[in-house]
Amino acid sequence: MRPEHKPKIIAFCCNWCGYAAADLAGIQRIQYPDSLRIIRVMCSGMVHPEMVLHALNKGADGVMIIGCQLGECHYIDGNEKAMARAELIDELLEDFGFENDRFLITRLSSSESEQFARTVGTMHKRVLELGPNPNSNQDNGDTP
Amino acid sequence: MNTTISIEPLTRIEGHARISIDLDEAGNVADSRLHILSLRGFEQFICGRPAEEIPRIVTRICGICPWMHHLASVKAVDACFGVKPPPTGALLRELCQVMAHINDKILHFFFLAAPDFILGPDADYSVRSIMGIVRADPELANRVAAMRKLGQQLLEEFAGRAIHPVAGVSGGFSKPMTKEERQRLQQGCRTLLEFAVFALTYGRDEVLNKYQNILQTLGRIETGFLGTVDTNGAMRLYDGDLRLMKADGSFTDFAPEQYKEHIKEHVENWSYGKMPWADSWQEGFSMDLDRPRGIYRTNTLARINICDHISTPIAQEALEEFRDLFGRPAQGTLLYHWARLIELVYTCERSLELLADDRITGDMIRHNVQPGAGRGVGHVEAPRGTLIHEYTTDENGCITSANMIVGTTHNLAPMNMSVRQAATDLIKNGHYDEGILNRIEMAVRAYDP
Amino acid sequence: MNIRLAAESLHSCSGCEISLLNIGEALIPLLNRLQLVHLPLLMDHKYSDPAGSETEISIPKAEIGLVSGGVANTHQLQVLEAMRKSCTTLVALGTCGTHGGIPAMINEWPMADALQTVFSTVTTEPVDVPNQDTPPMLDRVYSLDEKTDVDIFLPGCPPDPTIIARVLEDFLDGLTPEPVTKSVCDTCPTRRTGKSERKLLRFTANARFDSNESTASMQCLLEQGFLCMGPVTAGGCGHQGEPACIRARVPCRGCYGPVRHQDNQMLGMLNGLVSQGIDFKTIIDRKSMLRFSGAHGRLRPLKEKKRAS
Repeated sequence: MRPEHKPKIIAFCCNWCGYAAADLAGIQRIQYPDSLRIIRVMCSGMVHPEMVLHALNKGADGVMIIGCQLGECHYIDGNEKAMARAELIDELLEDFGFENDRFLITRLSSSESEQFARTVGTMHKRVLELGPNPNSNQDNGDTP
Repeated sequence: MNTTISIEPLTRIEGHARISIDLDEAGNVADSRLHILSLRGFEQFICGRPAEEIPRIVTRICGICPWMHHLASVKAVDACFGVKPPPTGALLRELCQVMAHINDKILHFFFLAAPDFILGPDADYSVRSIMGIVRADPELANRVAAMRKLGQQLLEEFAGRAIHPVAGVSGGFSKPMTKEERQRLQQGCRTLLEFAVFALTYGRDEVLNKYQNILQTLGRIETGFLGTVDTNGAMRLYDGDLRLMKADGSFTDFAPEQYKEHIKEHVENWSYGKMPWADSWQEGFSMDLDRPRGIYRTNTLARINICDHISTPIAQEALEEFRDLFGRPAQGTLLYHWARLIELVYTCERSLELLADDRITGDMIRHNVQPGAGRGVGHVEAPRGTLIHEYTTDENGCITSANMIVGTTHNLAPMNMSVRQAATDLIKNGHYDEGILNRIEMAVRAYDP
Repeated sequence: MNIRLAAESLHSCSGCEISLLNIGEALIPLLNRLQLVHLPLLMDHKYSDPAGSETEISIPKAEIGLVSGGVANTHQLQVLEAMRKSCTTLVALGTCGTHGGIPAMINEWPMADALQTVFSTVTTEPVDVPNQDTPPMLDRVYSLDEKTDVDIFLPGCPPDPTIIARVLEDFLDGLTPEPVTKSVCDTCPTRRTGKSERKLLRFTANARFDSNESTASMQCLLEQGFLCMGPVTAGGCGHQGEPACIRARVPCRGCYGPVRHQDNQMLGMLNGLVSQGIDFKTIIDRKSMLRFSGAHGRLRPLKEKKRAS
């Protein structure tokens, strides 16, 4: 029998909103899938596309970027930069052999803990449907 | 027992190749093959790319003659987009091409071929190289190194890069020539011409004449020839019509665009290298030594044979001397070296001729280009032979298909024959030594593959 | 001490070796200090005894080994392994060795398709792909470090002669060569105004410049709207105070590979462009940004479903 697929999702959460929302969800004991691995970053605008690709090359089944609502960036326009890059990542993932559904960018305010859990749930379902990362067991020649 | 001799790698040549020679039970040559061991697939991976980028990619077909691929490609792209460069642009391109020829010929004759002659074909391999020449004749070695550096430097200073150039662009050239640049180039090319005249005399008297006994015999085969001439039958390197000559000296001239009506490519299942042959002779393809069919050669000896004359005075004089000695067409394989030195003189003279044209410092260097659908053939004479690039483009001006016939490949079938001829001649009753195997390689080296 | 040098070229064009020769007169004292033991372009050392039945490749022991070219067939792989075995320090010479180089552009296609295309051009007789005594091709073009341990990376297409000379001299003097840390832009004298075009143009018209002035007076080519890979490309080509292509007034295409060995030139460049608000969809054939660094799995065949659509 095939072992059950337990996906891993990497989420880059901005310190001010995404991470705060996740924190709040924890305090409120809201349930969400255990596939999530959070990496706190100061701003969603600092997530280089290469970091997303690196995560996928290393076997992550999905990658999320969670930043602030538009107009609420702590660094004025970091989240807008992140949106521009997200468009790019969406376009590029297939070039590197990944379905672009493995990537999701979303915006939350720090109080939207319910929304946070729902989004993670959606992504978890999406990744389950896609199945395991096609390249997770191969050498993709990424950073040695 | 039958044995196979394998010479690998072939050395003091540009590409990657191996020779295998099968001996029969008596120890005489039964068969021989020159294998090309790899292929890179340029015809595939330039597909889908914007055509104006291709001249910067195909340079990597050959690091010794990148200017040739660069310019053949630029010409093919021009034809796809239906544009012709302004006169200044064309002059600048040709100048770079002939100057690249100069560097290539110095490299081949002195660095790759000369050790066999100056140090002798039987010298120990550890000595028989440019390092051996450095020790045997340091003054010559220094002068040769200096001339090569000068040639490359002149190109680099003017066009940015000597290896893998970028200055040829569809529609013309990327930068004009200033008056100061022209002066420096003129000065440099005069120095190179002086050296070329020395090299011709030195090569003839001190090197080749000492090997009279093998000059006409080693690797000798009887074939036709292919090269480029202008409407007056003068030798050309940058543009002109193709001339395909049979071994008996009769010839046909045709426009480069018609190459497909004359040339086909044969494939043997033991080599990645294709073998072009003359389909228009309607005699088929055979590498049989006594009755070769469809076989022609390119490169220096071919160009010297097919042209009626050379347009520059010193080279023309040398050509006349050559013809008096060896006739037309000359068939001796080692005569390639002699022909190479004549061409060295021609390219220096031609550079000065181009630099003397006042239009070369003009401002109008490039026409605007509109990418679009088309088909185009670009051709130049590369050091190793006629180089043909053909592309088709879609409405965005991106490549949809490509065909390339590279200088060296024209000579693959002849090289195989020369190897066979030399091996049969030199290996008898199972006897051979390092010197003999090197002589077989010398037959290949003459073609400068 | 006697330093021995061995050199080989694999899936490459010999341009790196020519660049080595372009060191010029300074090469001669270098050659006098080095003992060449194997260098097919210049000397006649062979892999094995011509009549020997063994097919093993033997290369004499050497302190320093230069290998240019990537790896694309079984034979090249054997040669690389033999070089690694014989050489104390192995140098990947040129971008083909460090990142795959131009030949790795083939990695966008399955190798079998590429072979088929080459042997079915208009002038080629209809035949099967040669398969006797021709070493089988690997599934794609690899950089050297994907196949063996590499001690020094010396990218460039080709590496500038002064760089090669410096590395050899350093080696002879017992020093460790310094890796490049600057980008092409760091070495580029062109003028930056801070104002860029929002769309990128194809290079079908020349840049704007005054030919009587130096390149320092020319506006940055990226600002002029031409795709220039300078920001994400390792410097070193500019020994005359200006990058080689800029000298020809032509934008950089990235031939020294990424600034840091593991960087991705296409991602880095596109990321920079979108951060500047430049519409990346105006770029035709963005994968060409990886034209020099397509090994390490960066370029790969598109999935069938995408190609069909």
